[in-house]
Amino acid sequence: MGNFSMFWRIERRLLTTNYGRLFVVLLALGAGAAVTSALLNLQIDAKKRLTTEFRALGANVIVAPQQANDEVSAGATLEEGLLAELPSEYEGKRVPAVGFLYVIGEVAKAGTIHFEPAVIAGTEGQGLTEIRPGQRREYLANLESDPDACEAGVKAASQFKVRAGDSLQLRNQGREASCKVFAVVATGGAEDTQIFTKLKTAQALADLGGRLSLIQISVNATPDSVKTFLSSLSHRLPGANVSGIKQFAEAEGRIYYRISGLLSATVLLVLFLTSLCVMAGMSNVAVERKNDVGLMKAIGGSIRRVVRLFLTEAIVLGIGGGLIGSAVGILVSIWLGKAVFGVAAQPRWIVYPVSVTLTVLVSIASAFPLRRLASVRPASVFRGEE
Amino acid sequence: MFLRLVADSFTRRPRRKILSMAALAMGMAVATAALSVSLDVGDRLAEEFRSLGANLLVTPQADSLPLEIGGVDYRPANAGTYLPQADLGKLKTIFWRFNIMAFAPILEVPVQAWSPASRNWSNPSAVEKATLIGTWSEHTVPIPDGTTYVTGIEKTNPWWHVEGDWFAEGSEQCVIGATFSKASGIKAGDTLNVHASDATGWHALKVVGILSTGGPEDDAVIVPIAIAQQLADKPGQYRRLYVSALTKPEDAFARKDPKSMTPAEFDKWYCTPYISAIALQISEELKGTDVRVIRRVAEGEGNVLTRVRTLLWLVTIAALLAAALAVGASAAASVIERRTEIGLMKALGANSGLVGVLLAAEQLLLAFVGGGIGYAVGILLARVLGERIFGFTPEPKLFVLLIILGLAAVITLLGSAFPLRQASRYDPAPILRGE
Repeated sequence: MGNFSMFWRIERRLLTTNYGRLFVVLLALGAGAAVTSALLNLQIDAKKRLTTEFRALGANVIVAPQQANDEVSAGATLEEGLLAELPSEYEGKRVPAVGFLYVIGEVAKAGTIHFEPAVIAGTEGQGLTEIRPGQRREYLANLESDPDACEAGVKAASQFKVRAGDSLQLRNQGREASCKVFAVVATGGAEDTQIFTKLKTAQALADLGGRLSLIQISVNATPDSVKTFLSSLSHRLPGANVSGIKQFAEAEGRIYYRISGLLSATVLLVLFLTSLCVMAGMSNVAVERKNDVGLMKAIGGSIRRVVRLFLTEAIVLGIGGGLIGSAVGILVSIWLGKAVFGVAAQPRWIVYPVSVTLTVLVSIASAFPLRRLASVRPASVFRGEE
Repeated sequence: MFLRLVADSFTRRPRRKILSMAALAMGMAVATAALSVSLDVGDRLAEEFRSLGANLLVTPQADSLPLEIGGVDYRPANAGTYLPQADLGKLKTIFWRFNIMAFAPILEVPVQAWSPASRNWSNPSAVEKATLIGTWSEHTVPIPDGTTYVTGIEKTNPWWHVEGDWFAEGSEQCVIGATFSKASGIKAGDTLNVHASDATGWHALKVVGILSTGGPEDDAVIVPIAIAQQLADKPGQYRRLYVSALTKPEDAFARKDPKSMTPAEFDKWYCTPYISAIALQISEELKGTDVRVIRRVAEGEGNVLTRVRTLLWLVTIAALLAAALAVGASAAASVIERRTEIGLMKALGANSGLVGVLLAAEQLLLAFVGGGIGYAVGILLARVLGERIFGFTPEPKLFVLLIILGLAAVITLLGSAFPLRQASRYDPAPILRGE
């Protein structure tokens, strides 16, 4: 027991003899730990942020009728009831889903007789603006709740010369309907040429009550987790064909791979530099402590005890620098998240122990120069030889 | 005497000097690698992230509304207008011609398809309706300036995967969608007969690959555009063109209406690779077209690109800071360990100024040699990192070497300044006594 307290007393002396050096080593370890924890936290956050970023691109899952075919109005359709069977939440996040029924009908501005063929898309569901990204150029919110409201794609609007507030006549095989345009949408995609009506209107035009052409879903999750969603959904809807949109999923995976590689490489390099920095400090220590070690050995301290003393010192330094540095790093990463992704990064507590452990390991590895002390020969030290 | 002292300190204890030089070189190597990767990646990142696919869509201007559902146009072949394929070489003559990475025209034809492979006893003459998509794959386009450019749909839509091979241009081959293949039982190597109208007759196509896109193309048959043009009786024409262009993410200036700009502003806008400027330049070159920005791709890409660039610079700064700290600390350490020597010099009558200059000269020498070695190592490191992470090799840049040498000198001097100041205050007597 007495040995033990002696051990710690020596340890305390070792740490506090030279405050300048203690500061340099702690600064190096702390800075290394801070960068490590900040980047690791950012790395976890980047996955989530990137997913959100990509969800702004629109739907990533499509539910279509099993039998694919090319004639739309007479082809296979889905039961409208499927829309209610979809999960409304996935991994705690809302899942926007919209059912579409496409009809190729004829359209003209109210009061004119020049009808032209156009795609009429009936829509029903939650979150149309998330499924169909783009901007609403003209938007009259008060008309939106009207049962006969519709939106026109920007190209369709200019073709039929309508603006928000105007009415359109729609017809298909003798069935007629009319709707009031409440918004003009621009997406740059096929939607620009379509007319979006309420589902009921399109169903009446197509004479397909209670049917859908397809359902588009936007799942806010990582590519892997979307795959799980896909397989669970296709079990749930055996009569439908559930597929993911590859275009964005693949790009997302690739970009995340790059970002995560970049961050990991930087963490490795920074830890390496930290260890260089601590090593520089420790090799001084080795020179200075020659006399101490010589004395310890002369009065009977075994090499093992001496080494244990210095290892403990390294661990104490590593824990100290790691605890403070990692905490600072996590705080910094919150701000970094804001700078990079525009949203404050969420601190992950798993990062903290990981980063402290890494720092301690680096600190032990950098105590390598102290190995020289093991070969100190007391006699030559006391004679003042090198 | 001065030079001899400096030279002496290097030759007398080479091992210690090598250690601190190694630390310096490693720190500078990391700084070099971080700088060269981020300087080069900045330029090429946009190229890398074109994996989202085409960001511009060209359609005929005076056209009836496309009846497009899920990427397939349901208009009959005789409705609407077409564009001449011969003009496409002009795309590589616009102001931002080097930013046009790929383009592919599309011509769709509804056909009837029949294959001996899908025939079985219950369904002896399985004729199915299918959509034929005519496009390019590794097509050589003549450019008006006399050169050629190779491009195709696999570049504009990089997420299209073909199991097997793409069709060869000018051959009677086709690639069929995965869903179509599953539904009809047709495999690679089979023959597929397609028929559009009595005037064009039947075409026998050899299936060379199975395409999976996750989109409506999975139900279609993809052929060289010349075959689609024959079947549709529209020689040399197409209906839609996908263009993949490298662009600068849009900022507030890019969102201004070009019509309301002053001439100077317009010039600046026109000469910046904004997607809207490139769209305008394309419509000037290809007469009678309507060039639209595929918003979801262009905006998504712009956002991600800006974010990754910020991240890259941030990481570079972090690496530079860590490198500075490591170099500074090793410089400080090398001064601290020479206290005895400093004490001796002072005891022999050297003043603090001379000791300072002597040590600074030594540190500078160390910085230049270490910085130079660090630069060489850093270039190698940048290569490994660039290839592993981003899939390209950064070019060594001379001005990075200058930055590194300057940085090494400044940091070493700063790192040694503090201990030097302490050293100049040392009283020689206790140091020489070994206290």
